[in-house]
Amino acid sequence: MEERIMDLIREKKRVVAPALVLVFIFYFMLPLSLLFFPDVMNQTSIIPGLTWAWLYGFLQIPMTLLMAWVYHLKAKQFDRKIEEIKREELS
Amino acid sequence: MNLTYFLFFICIIVCTLIITYWAAKRSNTANRFYTAAGSLTGFQNGMAIAGDFISAASFLGIVGMIAISGFDGFLYSIGFLVSYIVVLFLVAEPVHRLGKYSLGDVICSRFPSNQMRLIMAIGAFIISILYMIPQLVASGFLLRLLLDIDYSISVLIIGGLMTIYVVFGGMVATSWVQIVKTVVLMSGTFLLSLIVFSNFQWDISSLVDRVKEGTPLGEDFFLPGHQFDNPIEFFSLQLALVLGTAGLPHILIRLFTVRNTLEVRRSLISSTWIIGIFYLMTLVLGLGTVALLGYETLIAVDPTGNLAAPLLARAVGGDFLLAFVSAIAFTTIVAVVAGLVISATTAFSHDIFHHILKKGKSTEKEQLKAARWTALGIGLISTLFALQLEAINVTFLVSLTFVVAAASNFPVLILTIYWKRFTQIGAITGMVSGLLASLLLVILGPHIMNVDGGWIVRDSVISLYNPGIIAIPIGFLGAYLGTIFSTKRKQSTEEFRQFYIQSQTGITSRRESS
Repeated sequence: MEERIMDLIREKKRVVAPALVLVFIFYFMLPLSLLFFPDVMNQTSIIPGLTWAWLYGFLQIPMTLLMAWVYHLKAKQFDRKIEEIKREELS
Repeated sequence: MNLTYFLFFICIIVCTLIITYWAAKRSNTANRFYTAAGSLTGFQNGMAIAGDFISAASFLGIVGMIAISGFDGFLYSIGFLVSYIVVLFLVAEPVHRLGKYSLGDVICSRFPSNQMRLIMAIGAFIISILYMIPQLVASGFLLRLLLDIDYSISVLIIGGLMTIYVVFGGMVATSWVQIVKTVVLMSGTFLLSLIVFSNFQWDISSLVDRVKEGTPLGEDFFLPGHQFDNPIEFFSLQLALVLGTAGLPHILIRLFTVRNTLEVRRSLISSTWIIGIFYLMTLVLGLGTVALLGYETLIAVDPTGNLAAPLLARAVGGDFLLAFVSAIAFTTIVAVVAGLVISATTAFSHDIFHHILKKGKSTEKEQLKAARWTALGIGLISTLFALQLEAINVTFLVSLTFVVAAASNFPVLILTIYWKRFTQIGAITGMVSGLLASLLLVILGPHIMNVDGGWIVRDSVISLYNPGIIAIPIGFLGAYLGTIFSTKRKQSTEEFRQFYIQSQTGITSRRESS
């Protein structure tokens, strides 16, 4: 049973770890891009009247919510499989 | 104080006291006192987490910061939001599974010992008190400005209320006060945002144009770099904000107030939504302030910009709306300080009294009694401190809290949960070095050592206002070195594996459960 649980944990980690790295990159790229490419960031973006800096700043909010949702889905699936293992152990 | 203000304040005080009375009847066991017996739903807890997290500094401070420096103020708030991903991904579920009432429980589930527990309790205590006292001081000034009542009376009212909530109602009252705060805060800021937009005929571009007229920065207002001109400083601040929440004891103990990990995730996802929407609205309020009032008016009343939201309310809705926004600010403060009192209380009465002094053998009744007396003591002492600190600028302690949490609790939590070779010595050295490094760096930094009105009048040794970028690695390094050099028996792979499975799935091995 332990091996199967460890496998499941590893499987969850394969989704969660890259997602977290992505969040960090996406987030810290904002201050870094302001630092290194201020000219580009201050140009008007694809949305009229909005510079890249603001667009990127706003995008942090949907990114956060999206990632939280991705985690939630993965964790739900993980919980279900763990429950299955527990039930099999009992029977 | 005119009648409108008086009615709003009496309404808030009476409502929260009714909640406390109702909660007091339900807080008759230690489990209910510390965690509301896990009775909250995910969404309720999400509102309470948001209520615990959004301080008056966020509400009033960020609106003011956006009004003064535009983009950078908005960027500041984004850091707070993204920090919830770190909590959700790395610590939330393990903390819920491993702990009972406090962070000490979480760490001691792997390294059970009194020293470990004591260090964790001291850490939680320091962080909560460091955060609470400046909030009390700020609340005193705020009420004095808004209502024209004496500083000491305002501090006594807020200090008294927070103590009453926690002493009588424990976590149940604290949670519901925080939930009410979130509802009032969100509906109030939503209403105010709508009024701002309606003033510009719902046309964002005319709002933006008026902002450019209202600020001395003109066109440049929307460009980054007005608040943070030093990139290292800025990066350091962001780092502390993003990692700090995952080490804040008053937020993490809220994860014990729900039934299971599904509800833990629901809590965090709902609080992320609430906080995300809230910060978007603060942006509207900040821009609205510049557009409708102008920079000069704002600065003339209060150079820190903290009164932006109340001034905006008066400009668009007269005295009535100002009274409403002041009442929101008041609720915001009491909800946050109540959360801090209960977090400091748990650290002292559960970890130090119950586990260390009584060796885990005190009865339910004794625990409850100890918790209530501790809450009373903490409430009284911090109120007294706040009364004494009227003349001293302590607001920087608020930002310091995130640094201390990110440098001490955060590394120890992460390494305890995920690092196989981590040892108790490592956890202790990590906590101690993180705590000491962040405190020392602040003392050596320009908040305290400053030729221009610092506590110590001389040039600062370290130029960073936000020493996170140095303190956080020191916390991790302390934990690493302590582990490498500890000679004590290390945990076997098997022991860690059992712990790891428990932290990730909640399954305890038969050996332990029997």
